[in-house]
Formats: sequence, C-alpha cells, structure tokens
Amino acid sequence: MYVVIVYDVGVERVNKVRSFLREYMNWVQNSVFEGELTKAEFLKIKSRLKELIQESSDHIIFYSSRDRKYLGIEDLGTPKADTSNII
Amino acid sequence: MREDFYILQDGILKRKENTVYFENKDSRKILPINKINSIFAYGNLSFSSGVVSYLSKEGIPIHFFNYYGFYEGSMYPRETLVSGDLVIRQAENYLNSERRLCLAGKFIEGACGNILKNLRYYARTREDVQEAVGDYATSIETEFSRLKDAETIPSMMRTEGKIRELYYNALDEIFPEEYRIIKRTRRPPENKMNTLISFGNSLVYSTTLSEIYNTQLNPTISYLHEPFERRFSLSLDVSEIFKPILVDRIIFKLINKNMLDDSCFRGEIGNMLLSEKGKKIFLKEYDEKLKTTIKHKGLNRNVSYKSLIRLELYKISKHVLGVEDYKPLVMWW
Repeated sequence: MYVVIVYDVGVERVNKVRSFLREYMNWVQNSVFEGELTKAEFLKIKSRLKELIQESSDHIIFYSSRDRKYLGIEDLGTPKADTSNII
Repeated sequence: MREDFYILQDGILKRKENTVYFENKDSRKILPINKINSIFAYGNLSFSSGVVSYLSKEGIPIHFFNYYGFYEGSMYPRETLVSGDLVIRQAENYLNSERRLCLAGKFIEGACGNILKNLRYYARTREDVQEAVGDYATSIETEFSRLKDAETIPSMMRTEGKIRELYYNALDEIFPEEYRIIKRTRRPPENKMNTLISFGNSLVYSTTLSEIYNTQLNPTISYLHEPFERRFSLSLDVSEIFKPILVDRIIFKLINKNMLDDSCFRGEIGNMLLSEKGKKIFLKEYDEKLKTTIKHKGLNRNVSYKSLIRLELYKISKHVLGVEDYKPLVMWW
C-alpha cells in the first residue's frame, strides 16, 4: 500500500522520528514521508512511532491508499527532495 | 516492494542513521534501507566499510559496472539461504551428461521460443518486412529442431549461436540502417545496436544474480555455460531466456518510438558507448519493464517481470530436486 505520514512532534523527538522513517520511506519535505509499504511494515512503523512519541503532546497522521495512483497527487513550486531510484 | 537503485553519479555511499546515504558535492540522497533490493553502481563510487557490512547484513547485492558500462563484478553478500541438499543435486545434474544436456537444452528452448515470439510480432504487424522475417523465423525453427540430436554441449552452443545469428539478421531487416547489427561485437561493441544489446544484457545478468541470491540455488553451478568459465554462470544460463523478453523488447521500444538520438551515444576509439543520457533513458525503461505486471496463468494473479525470473529459478530448483520437470518460460502474451 502507499502511505503518506505527516508528523508534528516535539523538537526533542523530531530527529528520532525522522531517522527512523528514513529506513522505510522517502523523505518528501519537512515532517512528511511517503512510500510503498507492506502491511507488516506499516504495522511495525506504527508501533515503533508509538514508542518514540509522547502521546499527550505529539500528533502523527497516516494517509494510506491501496496504490499511489488512487491519490490525486498534485504539487506547486519546487520539490525539496527527489525520490527517483535512478541517481 | 523493494526497488533497485541505479547510481550513475560519482560519490560516496555511507551508513548513517541506520540507513544508506549517497552523497557527493552537489547532492545528497537517502536510500531507505528496507526498500533496497539491489544497487547498480555505474559511477565512481566510494564505500565506507560500514555501509558494506550493513548491506551484506541486509542481504543486498551491489553490482559494479565500469566507466564503459561493462559489468565488473558484484558484492555478493554472505549466502543466508543455503541448502546442501540442493547444491549436491545441482552438481549431480551437472555431472550426469544426459541430465546436463537436458537442462542446457531447456534454456535454449526458452530463449528460442521468446526470440520467435518477438519475430512473429513483426511478421504480423509490419507488412514491408513480413516475408523476410517470416523466412528467418522458419530457419530458426529448423535450426532449433536439430537441437534434439545434439550430443555434446559445444554442439548445442553452436546451434544456439546459429539461432542468434539468424535472429540478428532478421532484426537487421526490421530496423533502420542506423541500427543495423551486421555482426555481433562485444567489448567494445562497434555500433549502436551492439551497444544497446551489450548494455541490456549486463543488466539482465545482474538482475538474475540478485534473484538467485534470494533462492537456495548456487550461482556457480551452471549447465549451458561451463561453471568454471567465469563469473556466476548459472545467471548466464537463466539470462538467455530473459534477454529477448526484457532487453530486446526495450530496444525495440526505444528505436520505434525514436527515444534515442546521437547525444545518447558516445564514440571512443572506434567503438560505441552509451552516454550518461543514453544510460539514463535505458535504465528508466529497464526499471519500468521489470515492474510491469502480467497475469500469470498458473498462479492466477498478477506477477511482475522481475518475479518471473524468480519463478523461473524456483522451477529450476524443482527440476534438480526431481519434483517436477522444468519447462522454460515462453511468453504467452
């Protein structure tokens, strides 16, 4: 499935969340990751993030879709990161 | 699904924050460790030893290609899927000349079947070359029918060589003058078509090797090619089947859609090589091709071209274990 993760967490934890998500997904812009995940990976990510954040003050949203093509993705301006696999 | 990463730029690959970073003076790119299937390194790449051990721990092979785009070698991580039983059976199939010939013949059968599929397509769709291509297809069939009389591996290889030659002659009929093969030349290739074929074949070879890593087969015991010849020769055997399906079809698309121009090639001391731009176009098509899915009749679900390679390897394991006779893949679509 294709997942977009948007997070808003305390400054002390922001690095931890970012570096953990980098192992699985592509960084798109500040506090946003997206990528193709298996169900198992998605569960793993959710449970690990639960440990990392402070649930009373932080907030993370997961937008998931069966396939990237079902998300009508549009953008404006200059993208911050290049997610292609040909470097 | 895990992806292949193709690195054309020069730079350094390092382990940082438990994942892989590619860095050079103008850019930084982060490869998510859990999303890497294998890495194809075309540029001048430096590695920290941290990243090498991390990638081998995760079972990710890196394939190296030199400045000219030729295959150099692979960082093949420690085998984790080992099966003594299968290795012994693989060797047994090699040592028994009858069984070796049987398997070697199957690889040629697959390659030949797919070559014919490609030619038939042109015989069907292009009226101007219909007759000539049809004639070549018939000669290939006659040549192939001789295969069953072959008693030695060299004579089988000769048949295979003849089939390829006829195939290339047929392609010369189809494509514009600029893309004539005339004669297959390698290391270095002498014209555009040879360049494209060589570049594509080395990609298929590496992809197959990556797939073999995910099975219990031993990549050094092969049947059509001699195992002690060089490199991981089992992957050369299996690639034979997939070259017409992957490489040739990509080349047809590139030529028919006019996606290449002179700036995609660079000439160097009497030979032809793909330029940076050419490599990029080719790699993009190749990556898309591997991800393309088709409905598999037996499995009744969609499988990608890349998983077809894996399925082929499973069929070979079954054959050497004596579970089920191997039937090579011939495109049914």
